[in-house]
Amino acid sequence: MINHRSSKRFCLVLLLGLLPLFANASEEKLDESPIPTDRASIQRGAEEVVTTCGGCHGLKYVKYSDLLTLGFAKDKVDGWRGPLPLDAALKPQMSADDATASFGVAPPDLSLMAAAREGGGHYLYSYLTGYHINDKGELTNSVFPVTRMPDVLGLSGITDPKQRAEMEEKAKDVSAFLIWAADPHAQERKHLGYYVLAYVFVMTILLFLWKKQIWHDIDRQPKIE
Amino acid sequence: MFNRMISWIDQRFPLTSFVKHDLTGYPTPRNLSYWWNFGFLAGFVLVLQLATGIFLAMHYKADSGMAFDSIQHIMRDVNYGWLLRYLHATGASAFFVVVYVHMARTLYYGSYRKPRELLWWTGQGLLLLLMAISFMGYLLPWGQMSYWGAAVITNLFRATPFIGDQVVIWLRGDYGVGDATLTRFFALHYLFPFIIVGGVVIHLIALHTVKSSNPSGINLADKDNIPFHPYFTIKDMFGLGVYLLVFFVFVFFFPNAFIEAANNIPANPMQTPPHIVPEWYFLPFYAILRSVPDLIGGVVAMGLSVMIFAAMPYMDRSRIPGGAHYRPLYRLQFYIFIIAIFVLGYVGSQPVTDNIVLLGRGATLVYFACFLFLPIISKVEERMLLKRGLPPAVRAMVEGEKA
Ligand code: HEC
Repeated sequence: MINHRSSKRFCLVLLLGLLPLFANASEEKLDESPIPTDRASIQRGAEEVVTTCGGCHGLKYVKYSDLLTLGFAKDKVDGWRGPLPLDAALKPQMSADDATASFGVAPPDLSLMAAAREGGGHYLYSYLTGYHINDKGELTNSVFPVTRMPDVLGLSGITDPKQRAEMEEKAKDVSAFLIWAADPHAQERKHLGYYVLAYVFVMTILLFLWKKQIWHDIDRQPKIE
Repeated sequence: MFNRMISWIDQRFPLTSFVKHDLTGYPTPRNLSYWWNFGFLAGFVLVLQLATGIFLAMHYKADSGMAFDSIQHIMRDVNYGWLLRYLHATGASAFFVVVYVHMARTLYYGSYRKPRELLWWTGQGLLLLLMAISFMGYLLPWGQMSYWGAAVITNLFRATPFIGDQVVIWLRGDYGVGDATLTRFFALHYLFPFIIVGGVVIHLIALHTVKSSNPSGINLADKDNIPFHPYFTIKDMFGLGVYLLVFFVFVFFFPNAFIEAANNIPANPMQTPPHIVPEWYFLPFYAILRSVPDLIGGVVAMGLSVMIFAAMPYMDRSRIPGGAHYRPLYRLQFYIFIIAIFVLGYVGSQPVTDNIVLLGRGATLVYFACFLFLPIISKVEERMLLKRGLPPAVRAMVEGEKA
């Protein structure tokens, strides 16, 4: 006869038997090396994004004043923003029309880029460092082969390992800043999260003990199947 | 003073008798397991969704040119706006988790059986409302997945006989999904939750008429029913604590677990995303839709897959009391059904390939077979169990059952 346990086991076996069918995810391989989260890396990344990427890309949800909050000196930010007000969004230097004329596509806004791609920061890092010359001698990118963005960090042309490591470091900082830009309250959120979880945890233990106390007499009665 | 006030009210409104009938004195089986916590949890999530939703609506702009930006405004500039939004977005998923567990419990323990049919059907109505609300809510951020999800799903109504095209236009308010769709979805997304609240009241009135079922599936003797308060108020509070621990882990540490990356790209009617997936809670039904090669057949199968739960009280023809606990075949079938749902969920999340379609069709057949063979299986099982003789515990309870 089929009893309780064996029917559960039967289902488990069935599930496990199906597993191989599931394991065929065909995602492009991303470089999963860790992206830094410290303030200094985010700052270096911000500087790189404003000065290099800002030529073509804007960040419409990040304001110049946010850069002050990130810890940049006022005159540095003033230099970047020029005549724009402090609460203006980071604007690309090249107009969308000019960019479209040069590249055939308008460079997308970068504020949410880390959230808008599967893989997040790892995608960004893999994209920025994915430029290389393929067998046919053409410039291509391993995660976005037909991209119309030029190899701005110049990784396809670097052969010196030391110089390459430096550039990869830079790409990590850029990714770190873009992760911050996509979710600027992340640090605060996690910080608050620890307190909330600790509070709920203690409360739950107390509730459990209280429940035990209230149910004391009931729990001693014979069990009903 | 307090007593005088209460008696003043009682002469005009049945306050004391209500509290006594439905709270302090409400008889509840003492053997309820923690699976019985999920109804209360669903009520809690509903309140949390209402509370966060009302505050989000104060900052949200239901305009196709501003919706996406207003979400980022909430996320970045509104004080604790990110918390409101993550609570609400995670809460939508949590709502389905809780409601699906609540339904699975009902199925497993046979709580849908006589005399609880109306309780089950009002619950079915609440599920439909919840699905409609979450579907409309998902359009509001106006991201790529919002837009294309709504476009694909509203397009299904083309399957309506004779007036299909008109129905689609009527739903969207335009030929395509656009500003008119967004504003009406927002209006209804704000309205429907209050209808749900009304539905919950009806659900609870039905519950308090027939009382809770219990793991044995048989009405217990009076002595085995204990007052709801304090026993189940405290048990529900403890369950709530455990629930919040899990919920807050997602809200504070993995808030994007349920947000598709493509939904962080503003809606673009000119560019179809490579792979349109509905939210996880619709995946099994979406997989059933895709398993049928033709549109009308697919829509009918999908609608049936949601509505067929309502037929359970009539499909289950066994006279053996209780749920799966004493019914080995029904129990086996329950687990097979759960597996089929998970397989369908996986299939729904994958791009269409030959293997996936095959797996989806198989799981769809199993899904419906679980319902359609139930009348036969339950009868066969009944005969088998009666021949073998009921376990003494069940027999004793059947005899002790209050009419
Ligand atoms: C010379 C102009 C230019 C500069 C400078 C530039 N980009 Fe781009 N970028 C583009 C264009 C054009 C595209 C659109 C590519 C496409 O869709 O084919 C693009 C696309 C992107 C994308 C989106 C890729 C995707 O998956 O769709 C990212 C991310 C990105 N750039 C990051 C950066 C970063 C970081 C920098 C600075 C290190 C930078 N870009 C500097 C022109 C530029």
